[in-house]
Amino acid sequence: MIRLEGITKVFPGVKSLDGVDFEAKSGEIHALLGENGAGKSTLIKTLAGAYIPEEGSIRFDGQDRRWASPKEAKDAGIHIIYQELMLFPELTVAENIFIGEAPKTRYGFIDYPTMFACAQETLDRLGHHLDPQALVKDLSVADQQMVEIAKALVGETKLLVLDEPTAVISGREAELLFERVKRLRDEGVCIIYISHRLEEIFEIADRVTVLKDGKLVGKRPIAELDRDQLVAMMVGRELEDIFPRKQEPHADAAPVLTVRDLRAPPKVKDVSFDLYAGEILGLAGLVGAGRSEVAHAIFGSMPRTDGAVTLGGEAFNSPTPRGAIDRGLGFLTEDRKGEGLMMLLDMAANVTAPVLPEFTTTSGLDRSAEILAAEDEIKRFRIAIPGPRYGVEKLSGGNQQKILFGRWTRACRRVLILDEPTRGVDVGAKVEIYEIIRKLADEGVGILVISSELPEIVGLCSRVLVMREGVITGEVTDENVTEETIMSYATAAGEDRAA
Amino acid sequence: MTDLSIKPASTEAQLLPLFKRFAVPVALIALVAIATTIQPSFLAPNNIQDILTQAAPLALVVLGQAFVILVRGLDLSVASLMATVAVLATAFDATSNAMIPAIFVVAIAFSALVGLVNGLLITKRNVSPFLATLAMMIVLQGVRFYYTQGAPSGSLPEGFRFLGAGRIAGFPVNILAFLACFAVLAWLLHKSSFGRKIYITGGNPVSADLVGIRSDRVTIICYVICSVMAGIAGLFLVGFVGTVDNWVGRGYELDAIVACVIGGIALTGGKGSLWGAAAGALILVLVFNIVIILGLPVQAQLIIKGIIIIFAAALFARAQRA
Amino acid sequence: MADTTVTTPRRRFRLDPSLIIVIALLAVVVGAGFVLSDRFGTTRNFTNVLEQMAALGFASLGQALVVIVGGIDLSIGAVVTASTVLMASVVEIHPALMIPMIFVTLLFGAAIGFLNGFITIRTGVHPLIVTLGTASILNGVVLIFTLQPTGSVPFWFEEFAYGRIAGLPISGLVMLACFGLVWVFLRYTETGRAFYAVGGSPEAARLTGIRSDRIILMAYSASGFFAAMAGAYFVSRTGVGDPRVGDPITLASITPVILGGLLLGGGKGNIFGVLLGVFLISLLSNLLNYMNVSTFIQWVIQGLIIIIAVSIYVNKGKKL
Repeated sequence: MIRLEGITKVFPGVKSLDGVDFEAKSGEIHALLGENGAGKSTLIKTLAGAYIPEEGSIRFDGQDRRWASPKEAKDAGIHIIYQELMLFPELTVAENIFIGEAPKTRYGFIDYPTMFACAQETLDRLGHHLDPQALVKDLSVADQQMVEIAKALVGETKLLVLDEPTAVISGREAELLFERVKRLRDEGVCIIYISHRLEEIFEIADRVTVLKDGKLVGKRPIAELDRDQLVAMMVGRELEDIFPRKQEPHADAAPVLTVRDLRAPPKVKDVSFDLYAGEILGLAGLVGAGRSEVAHAIFGSMPRTDGAVTLGGEAFNSPTPRGAIDRGLGFLTEDRKGEGLMMLLDMAANVTAPVLPEFTTTSGLDRSAEILAAEDEIKRFRIAIPGPRYGVEKLSGGNQQKILFGRWTRACRRVLILDEPTRGVDVGAKVEIYEIIRKLADEGVGILVISSELPEIVGLCSRVLVMREGVITGEVTDENVTEETIMSYATAAGEDRAA
Repeated sequence: MTDLSIKPASTEAQLLPLFKRFAVPVALIALVAIATTIQPSFLAPNNIQDILTQAAPLALVVLGQAFVILVRGLDLSVASLMATVAVLATAFDATSNAMIPAIFVVAIAFSALVGLVNGLLITKRNVSPFLATLAMMIVLQGVRFYYTQGAPSGSLPEGFRFLGAGRIAGFPVNILAFLACFAVLAWLLHKSSFGRKIYITGGNPVSADLVGIRSDRVTIICYVICSVMAGIAGLFLVGFVGTVDNWVGRGYELDAIVACVIGGIALTGGKGSLWGAAAGALILVLVFNIVIILGLPVQAQLIIKGIIIIFAAALFARAQRA
Repeated sequence: MADTTVTTPRRRFRLDPSLIIVIALLAVVVGAGFVLSDRFGTTRNFTNVLEQMAALGFASLGQALVVIVGGIDLSIGAVVTASTVLMASVVEIHPALMIPMIFVTLLFGAAIGFLNGFITIRTGVHPLIVTLGTASILNGVVLIFTLQPTGSVPFWFEEFAYGRIAGLPISGLVMLACFGLVWVFLRYTETGRAFYAVGGSPEAARLTGIRSDRIILMAYSASGFFAAMAGAYFVSRTGVGDPRVGDPITLASITPVILGGLLLGGGKGNIFGVLLGVFLISLLSNLLNYMNVSTFIQWVIQGLIIIIAVSIYVNKGKKL
């Protein structure tokens, strides 16, 4: 159905795809795998006509193609469901489904009755009950995703791409999604499925293609592979080499952070836990379970309605970020670009931002002291940057992340909350970051790691909290820390088992 | 992903950073050269001083406007505030120069209050800066006209004339005032830790909050600074013009924004320097003067202003993307 | 596509909460008008208001279209001014060209709008700056041409503003018709729906295959076109081209748009709400005039309305 050959796509400073071949047939579910930054999204946007590759050819449905715009690809029968859903919140479900191809009356006006009826029919075909007249902004994310899939059913979709569809929906909704996707495959649609959740891949894919660092690693039928082989293909090395040794905190260590009955509606309903000095505690759960919100509510960047928090034995109940930082609590957020780095400022300013008062003298900001401090961090974390006066925007994800580690470890020595600490970072830098985390814990810092990458949680933590829909549904320790047990608590399955 | 060596090396990509760094000084020198060619007496000390005296009130407003633009804002109420402060100053009907400090204190306090309201609306009520300051502009205009009933009366102490157009040891007084304000504000923005907080807030308000900087407070202070500068500029302008009317400073809000854009202060926030802002004001005034020297009608200034702002913004937007 | 004989669902009526506020305010103003002034509640007064609000109506209609696609047009006043001067001064010399000049003027407005859109798309500069720039240029050109009201038009052209059909002013009717056409366009055509798509999520619109550039150009052109309509109305009323007439229109055109609940930032809002906003502003100033409230106080009220309206609709759109 689709064949890409020798695709190369270059962005300023980065070769995102390097001579990649890819091919998928109709009537199959073809999984596209790779870590963050491996080039999956770029590949998809290339075959959708959103990017024009520097080199390579695209063959679709038996013809050589050079898309000039996404519209051409769409008209040819390619439908992409992006991770950020491409819906228009102020329009109705039906209008979204029929965007660009609404049924019209004789006079060229939109025929709403027909459109609503057709939308209803399409949703029925999908087996999903939704009001075609509802506004998309009023729907849940899972329902919005179904609207996206319904869009694919309108017109003749020959190739459907799903980019991490389960990242935002819960287990039961995912089951429903798989069923719908399989139904489409059986109707002869070619489906490309992107995910980094291996369980899903084994459940629904027929074949897999693995990318790493913009290059093709391999392409196999799923039946020929087991889990470990697949991981090795994605990561490029054995798991044992990636994670540092686990180490329990001292038995007599005191809790540096206690959280009791924390509530921060709507996402955080009831959360209690202790974090000990020198411990690496995992916080797992599906996206949307409320993990990041727990961190924000503790740190003071989101209001809490209830709960008692102590930091180093002292109550911390009227929280502000300033107060948290002054008490030694740092928070490295998941969105490095949006909530972390200041792209317009140089590296030194990024490092000292939380501790400006330390560098303030009567004559103003002590720039030379700041530069010295930043140089320390460059050495300490081996950051690949020419100097503290350089900008941070063009650095690799790993180096950007290390700068943030420099920022927060300098400011906060008691507790660090790390939200997705290795997102968008290549494998080499991941290993370094894991070592940094281990070292900080050994120095006595209490660390809370929030991550969607289960191998990461399993590899780093000897104690893991699992959240689902705003509450902690389980705590697993030691040998019970496996992806299976964590997933069972993270989805409804764990609850069923407990009941 | 790690291969950084394959950067395309087009001439444009190489030239644009140069443009970013040198555009403003080059433009300044070029304009002076053009003016001198057309009119050799342009560089005469007296002429330069005249131009600077005319430019000072606008330059004061530009300094303040730069602060709000740096925190992703915009203040359309500055010109209306200038006129309101001018009317307020005459309300004392003072004749003694001894009243001048008192007038300044009242005017600055009033301006600070206006800035505070702007800032509170924008940060706490989440009103867009454009609308909040637009509404403030109209409200001030209404209050001012209602008070004067359309025709300002009242008088100012003689000393205002000296402030607006006088000289100390050959230097225009209002230029000295501008230099003093510039020194204080440049220290605040470029040397103090509060200045750093402004850049952090303007570049990324979310990150600012997460590193313990109260971005709302920083933003509000920037609006207060902007309004206070406008208030001071209003007093100097009324001194320069010599008479109070309801439209003192009319059009300065747009001129100030134009000057900031020319000076490389990005409307997206967090980018640009006070030097750029001052240079932008100077460029604008030079262009206005060249229009006069060329014997073109004054209205041609509007045309040139329009062309400059679009071109400058387009060039900086382009340099940004490269 | 499908056999649709089963049921034909009607489009459900959906009342936007912002519309409720405008309607409530409108009711308050009209109610107060009947109580406070015996001249307010007359047919004669209402038809007069309908006639006087035409200019604001045209300008706000254009502004609304630009705001829906996520932009803003600060050149409306300048286009109004330039249109009046263009029309009146050409027709003064060639009175026979009156009718063609109406079309030329409207085309001129659309062309300026097109230029605004084109520069915005091509340079990526914020529309605030672009339209401010073109406004400055246009004003400069007009003021070089004349500082005083100038030109004249044939007497019959006055009918556009003052003429009555079945007792209703022609200008007001034309304005209402324009609102009606735009409403149908926005609601019942694919292109019209695309206005909301482009304003709501530009990236999604691009990836969905909507030609955003074309939509944005259409919106700005329409804004210029309607500004020229307002210009034609002023010429009809006063018989001259006035180089200052448009000055207050730009900012005035924004208030009804906000009152109508259109998010500054795009993708949302009902054009009908804008019309109600125009009614509200016009009736309010009409009433205040009867009550002998000075223009100056009316300015204060106008400013407060903007602040209150925006505060109520808590603006979550991107900030301008």
